[in-house]
Amino acid sequence: MRGTIAIGFSCGIVCATVVWIIAHPFAWWVPVAGGIAGAAYALASPRRSPFEDIVSAAALAIPFWALVEVIVVPVLSGQTPKWTDVEMRALFPAFIGWLLFGCMLGAVLHVVRRLVPLAAHPVNAQPPLGPTRIVILGGGFAGMTTAAKLERALGSDRSIDITLVSNSNALLFTPMLAEVAGSSIEPTHISTPLRTSLRRTRVVRASVSRIDLDAKMVAIDSHDGTGLLRQLPYDHVVLALGAVSNFFGAERIARVALDFKSLTDAIRIRNHVIALIERADLEPDSAFRRALLTFVIAGGGFAGVELAGALNDFARGIVADYGNLHASDVSVIVVHARDRILPELSATLATYARERMEERGVRFVLESRVTDASADTVTLGTAEAIRAFTLVWTAGTAPNPLLTTLDVNRDRRGAVVVDACLAVAERGNVWALGDCAAIPDGRSGTYPPTAQHALRQAESLAHNICAALRGQPLRPFAFESLGSLCVIGHQLACAEIRLPLVGRKLLFSGVFAWLLWRAIYLSKLPGFDRKARVLVDWITELLFPRDTVQTIDVT
Amino acid sequence: MWAAACAFLIWIAACAAAIPSSSHATAGPRVMMDLVRERFPLLVAIVLASLPLGLAAGCVRRPASTGGAPRCSVARAVCGGGFAGIAGGWAFGKWMEQAGFFPLVAGLVRSDSAIVGVALHFAIAVVIGATFGLLFQREIRGLGSSLAWGAAYGILWWFLGALTLLPLISGHVPDWSYVHAAALFGSLVGHIVYGLIVGLLYAAVDGAWIWLFERSDPLNREIEGSGVSALSALVRGAVASVIGGLLFSIVMLMTGTLPRVARIVGGTSPAVGFAVHLIIAALIGATYGVLFHHEAIDDRAAVAWGTLYGLIWWFLGPLTLFPVLLGGTFTWTTTAASDQLPSLIGHMIYGIGLALVFRALERRHLQELFVDARLRRRWQRRRRPAGTSAPAVWLFFIGMSVVLPIVLG
Repeated sequence: MRGTIAIGFSCGIVCATVVWIIAHPFAWWVPVAGGIAGAAYALASPRRSPFEDIVSAAALAIPFWALVEVIVVPVLSGQTPKWTDVEMRALFPAFIGWLLFGCMLGAVLHVVRRLVPLAAHPVNAQPPLGPTRIVILGGGFAGMTTAAKLERALGSDRSIDITLVSNSNALLFTPMLAEVAGSSIEPTHISTPLRTSLRRTRVVRASVSRIDLDAKMVAIDSHDGTGLLRQLPYDHVVLALGAVSNFFGAERIARVALDFKSLTDAIRIRNHVIALIERADLEPDSAFRRALLTFVIAGGGFAGVELAGALNDFARGIVADYGNLHASDVSVIVVHARDRILPELSATLATYARERMEERGVRFVLESRVTDASADTVTLGTAEAIRAFTLVWTAGTAPNPLLTTLDVNRDRRGAVVVDACLAVAERGNVWALGDCAAIPDGRSGTYPPTAQHALRQAESLAHNICAALRGQPLRPFAFESLGSLCVIGHQLACAEIRLPLVGRKLLFSGVFAWLLWRAIYLSKLPGFDRKARVLVDWITELLFPRDTVQTIDVT
Repeated sequence: MWAAACAFLIWIAACAAAIPSSSHATAGPRVMMDLVRERFPLLVAIVLASLPLGLAAGCVRRPASTGGAPRCSVARAVCGGGFAGIAGGWAFGKWMEQAGFFPLVAGLVRSDSAIVGVALHFAIAVVIGATFGLLFQREIRGLGSSLAWGAAYGILWWFLGALTLLPLISGHVPDWSYVHAAALFGSLVGHIVYGLIVGLLYAAVDGAWIWLFERSDPLNREIEGSGVSALSALVRGAVASVIGGLLFSIVMLMTGTLPRVARIVGGTSPAVGFAVHLIIAALIGATYGVLFHHEAIDDRAAVAWGTLYGLIWWFLGPLTLFPVLLGGTFTWTTTAASDQLPSLIGHMIYGIGLALVFRALERRHLQELFVDARLRRRWQRRRRPAGTSAPAVWLFFIGMSVVLPIVLG
């Protein structure tokens, strides 16, 4: 760089003689300005063809003339800039002078650069160290956001290598999963491909089969479980493996119940409902037909209630296309262990949600559990047996069972206990967040395993990993929930928004809350293209009936 | 374009040869300007002579390959250019109507009817637009560069059309004196505005065509959609414009033009004018980001494109849109241009500040992106390679934009 500046400066001084001759004979500042212009030009431009260099330098000499002759020199002489028409006409010889200076500078610099090759940059004698390897296990909200935030924090630092292992190649936006089951949104529109969202992270689609914390190694299988793919060594590992459904040991329920955690689950539920409605249309026995059209959902939390609302609208809506069926044949039942649904929301909103959903035909069985299930019957704790061919399980989740193989502290749920900085205290460079981490909230409890918290934890974790790499102090995670939103049916929702500084909660319900739900979740949906696709789906839904095409064989 | 730029340099050299002989120290500025003005016919002659030479050279030696530029197509060039020509002709026609120029154009076919003039004007506009597409399809890589080529092409047609062909076909001897050229200054600005519209619309039509029929093909898919990069360039442009806008506001403060700017929103105070000016600067900066984000490959190119974009807005802003926004009409006269010379300097400074800050922001962004080899390859495919006539366009447009208002005023 110094060589470039020196060459440019020298060439500029030499070429400035033309300005001396034409405009300012022997003015001291002309070679200085010429030298500066030459150095700046040499720094700013790589060598091209001779003609290109000459013409480019001439073009750039014009704004340089304006800057130096019209503004800088008069101002430094204690005058006002010479930019009136009369003054600028008087400066026209200088204009010609600087333009020719540009031509000469381009030509001379081109020749000099050709004759005097600059010294090569000294080679770093030290052998380069291998990159620091960060392996993130899980491609959900927690894992994907951690990778994205790390990418942002690390910038162009090539000494860090990030790998994300996920058993899916896309991030599923779970708040809209019920809309997929209810056929409001095309399934792929709520999933953002990891490879288009992450730029420098190596995405590995595989299942994690073993984590060896002593050897700092992760073993991965192909995602379909057909065999060991390879082992990934790491320097830092992030446990973001998410959660799985928890059937509390009820194997018969686990065998017949439909899960509601993945995109495939939502697609399966939708197709299952369509298949049963098709079958019911041909069924002459009214009791059996009712059984076919009875959909039981275990769990009255967010997932269960949103799914119940979506399925209720979907099933009752599409029976209009079936001549032998009536909306009153459809029955959607929510079974919940507590005395009220939506324990995450205030009692007022929970009551509102139950009443509105009951008006729309959803039945709630509270203070009861699903104790057994077979292909055509769901048995409740009250000994009531509901004849139904559909049971969807949303009644409980547990952290990924792989965590039980790790020699670390776990809480009652099975989540890895971490400190406030999201680090596993007894293991160096092991971090955990999201559903599979028990993070102290500073009030003798732990943060709830929600997507909202996972996103913030990911941000904090990315910061802490970077801080650890740079030897800086870590930052403890602290976050107050911003509120909760739950859609309960067509243009109906409940919203509880916390005012950050005041600490008060604002409660909304009905159409406004529904609009709020859509606006907030649309803005949160990753990827501009996904936002556009979902928006088009929502508009299409206003104008046309929901799609009833079966996409997979569910039999 | 190379030939036109050379013509400009030769004329500058001819003027330089005259100045020392007149001993400028004793002759005074007026005499020197008279010497330059005396050589204005020489400028017209050299520029006109350069056109066939440039065309011949271009035919013999095809322009340098432009890397990942889309395939050239005559149909696309003619259709896109012709359409753009109609739109540009409509805008230019507004001034011609105001200046009573249509009967003069009708004189080309021995008529004095304004309707014939309008029809002929649009026919010429379509032909010039189509030739623009045919000549520069290879060179243009985006909306920004197309604007620049369009403006330079407009200036060339002012020399060829208004100063030469129009009187020649009407049976008169062309008058290349600076006095006559100054009388046609409005036509010069009209040609530039026409060129800008042709350039912008041609690139838009051409880009839409390529986007619809080539880039939408999954086989040609880029890893990052064009919408994403354009949006981020828009934001960076708006941010970069703050520096350029602040530099320009110093010029406005010194020339006392801020209260005039405030009149756009019905105010009079400099503070309101400053706020309006910064908003306009941000809007123009955002458009710079979108128009030029694949053009400025190094700092030299950034300064050149920035200066050029600033000058474009001198023609569009104080000479065209600003009087219209204040309820008046275009002021495409040498008097107005002379009054706005401080603003010309301000626009150049704004453009340079904007372009350099934008380049710095973009370089930081690219360093992050370039960790991904796919994005690095994509950027290298899309950026302007060495060997195109961009430097010639810089010199010709920037040079003429500064020289003509000074010499003809």
